[in-house]
Amino acid sequence: MDFTLTDEQIAIRATSRAFAEEVIKPIAQEIDARSEFPLAVIREMGKLGLLGLPIPEEYGGAGADFLAYCLALEEIARGDAAVAITMEAHTSLGATPFWLFGTEDQKQHYLVPLARGEQLWAFGLTEPGAGSDSGGTQTHAELEGDHWVISGSKMFITNAGTPISGGVTVTAVTGRRSDGHPEITNLIVPQGTPGYVVGPALKKMGWKASDTRPLNFDQCRIPATSILGQRGSGFRQFMRILDAGRVAIAALSVGLAQACLDESLKYARERQQFGRPIGEFQAIQFKLADMAMEIELSRLMYYKAAWLMMRDEPYTQEASMAKLFASETSKRAADQAVQIHGGYGFMDDYPVSRYFRNVKVNEIGEGTSEVQRMLIAKSLLR
Amino acid sequence: MRIVVCMKETPSTEVSKSLGTDQRLVRNPTETIQNPFDEYTIEEGIRQFEQHGGEVIVLTMSPAQTDTAVRRALAMGVDRGVVVSDPALAGSDAVATGRVLAAALTKIGYDMALFGQASADAYGGVVPSIVAEFLGVPLLSFATKLEVAGTTVKIQRQAEVGYTVAEAPLPALVSIAKGINNSPRYPSMKGIVNAKKKPVETWTLADLGIAAGTVGTAAARERVTGSQAVSTQRRREIHVGNEGAAQRILDYLIEQKII
Repeated sequence: MDFTLTDEQIAIRATSRAFAEEVIKPIAQEIDARSEFPLAVIREMGKLGLLGLPIPEEYGGAGADFLAYCLALEEIARGDAAVAITMEAHTSLGATPFWLFGTEDQKQHYLVPLARGEQLWAFGLTEPGAGSDSGGTQTHAELEGDHWVISGSKMFITNAGTPISGGVTVTAVTGRRSDGHPEITNLIVPQGTPGYVVGPALKKMGWKASDTRPLNFDQCRIPATSILGQRGSGFRQFMRILDAGRVAIAALSVGLAQACLDESLKYARERQQFGRPIGEFQAIQFKLADMAMEIELSRLMYYKAAWLMMRDEPYTQEASMAKLFASETSKRAADQAVQIHGGYGFMDDYPVSRYFRNVKVNEIGEGTSEVQRMLIAKSLLR
Repeated sequence: MRIVVCMKETPSTEVSKSLGTDQRLVRNPTETIQNPFDEYTIEEGIRQFEQHGGEVIVLTMSPAQTDTAVRRALAMGVDRGVVVSDPALAGSDAVATGRVLAAALTKIGYDMALFGQASADAYGGVVPSIVAEFLGVPLLSFATKLEVAGTTVKIQRQAEVGYTVAEAPLPALVSIAKGINNSPRYPSMKGIVNAKKKPVETWTLADLGIAAGTVGTAAARERVTGSQAVSTQRRREIHVGNEGAAQRILDYLIEQKII
């Protein structure tokens, strides 16, 4: 067994860490307070290649491996979760489907600007009435001549309304399969397509500086060729996308949990009570030890899931375990970080209060904790 | 124009330092970074290359257990690397280092060679002048601005008031001051991935025609005879109670010509 990272992975992690520390962290509180999408930082990340890490160079990406992408994501999340989710949703959900399932023309036309970070792309799966029950998709598209006509709405879609959003890949029912289940196809809808309406930015508890929108499709017409892969392959495609996305969300959660530990360690050394630093009290030490242990376990789990994926081995169960354990770890870490900070931890001026608001959604987005448990149990009982 | 950037690997600024029985810094090869001052030098080398074309090369003398710092320079945009590594170099002083770098620069061939203002470990800051002496070429030191026009290099150097301008014909050496403030770039992701495809040559003393006896501990003209922690004692005045304290602070600020 070899846990040694490659030189390339180490260098990508180091650069991401420096960028997060020097560029992202200093603005994190401000963009959160103003719910402001950090366009300049996202643009800079695009130039550095952080928005196309696992995409091959021939399509404008950096050509790094999947673990390197996760390592970078962990470090960016350590700087700020909202910036990290922008990077994750764009890379895992926006760009990767074009790479995996797109035609050569679609890759040249759509993927290249995404991998270069010149544009962001959204993935529209969740609907107002279909969250965990993604099979219950109501959005539908009819083939009329040589166009698909899309009707329906989507909810909580990341990166759909930024100044550099290029469009959305949206799941829609395009018919009935022979077994009676809905046939789902992924359709490509560029920004500005008539009938595609991006709703106003949603107000959120956390991840405030990320862009989250409701989408509406009102007789939205796209060319018949604007589908991803084969007609009816939508369900299989997004299951595959979500598997990898879960590993990425695990990495993001680890970064956030690590940020909680970083702040807690700093505070435990500085804060004096009863004449000594609170880090000298066992009550605090045990919290720190538990945080560090769970973070390391979460990290190992996402490393393993990423490693299986890169070896082309099945990793669905491990991806769910990594996502579930890491997101719950980050929630406990944020809870304890606020506790260690006492009253100050409840104040907006201290980053841990922001971390506390940011972690909750990690247990919800890209498959709730309950869905992860269902998936794990399903693979156990198969 | 062929630009050679001389660089050093120094101990990571994030790890604690200790001294060995020889009173020299214990160097852990896995915990080294690019000398922080060299980041400005590498950035300047790449900028000059981007402006004038040609080639930019990084040169380092190193125990070569790791090439992290060289790869980082390559990831930032440097074309290729040369590492001089030889067991006989252990314990070399600044003169020996200068001798080796001068020989390597001659072998590479250069129009302009850039150095950092000093290295963050020993902080001697003398290597550039030693190399210049060996090579017999001009050195423009502590540049806070650098311009190449035709076959002339011109620098600005921070002075107590304003700045000094110095120029020299190429080939020349230039040491870059941190004050150049050229915002060293982050290596791009693509740069990192491609860095491993760029050539890095490793040369020994034999490749440079340098006799082992002229470098290393044996030839060192400096000896470390002892070491002592730096003690920093700030001058301070403590006044207890309010009476006259504000006046005293005011007087002090006037004495120091602050107000």
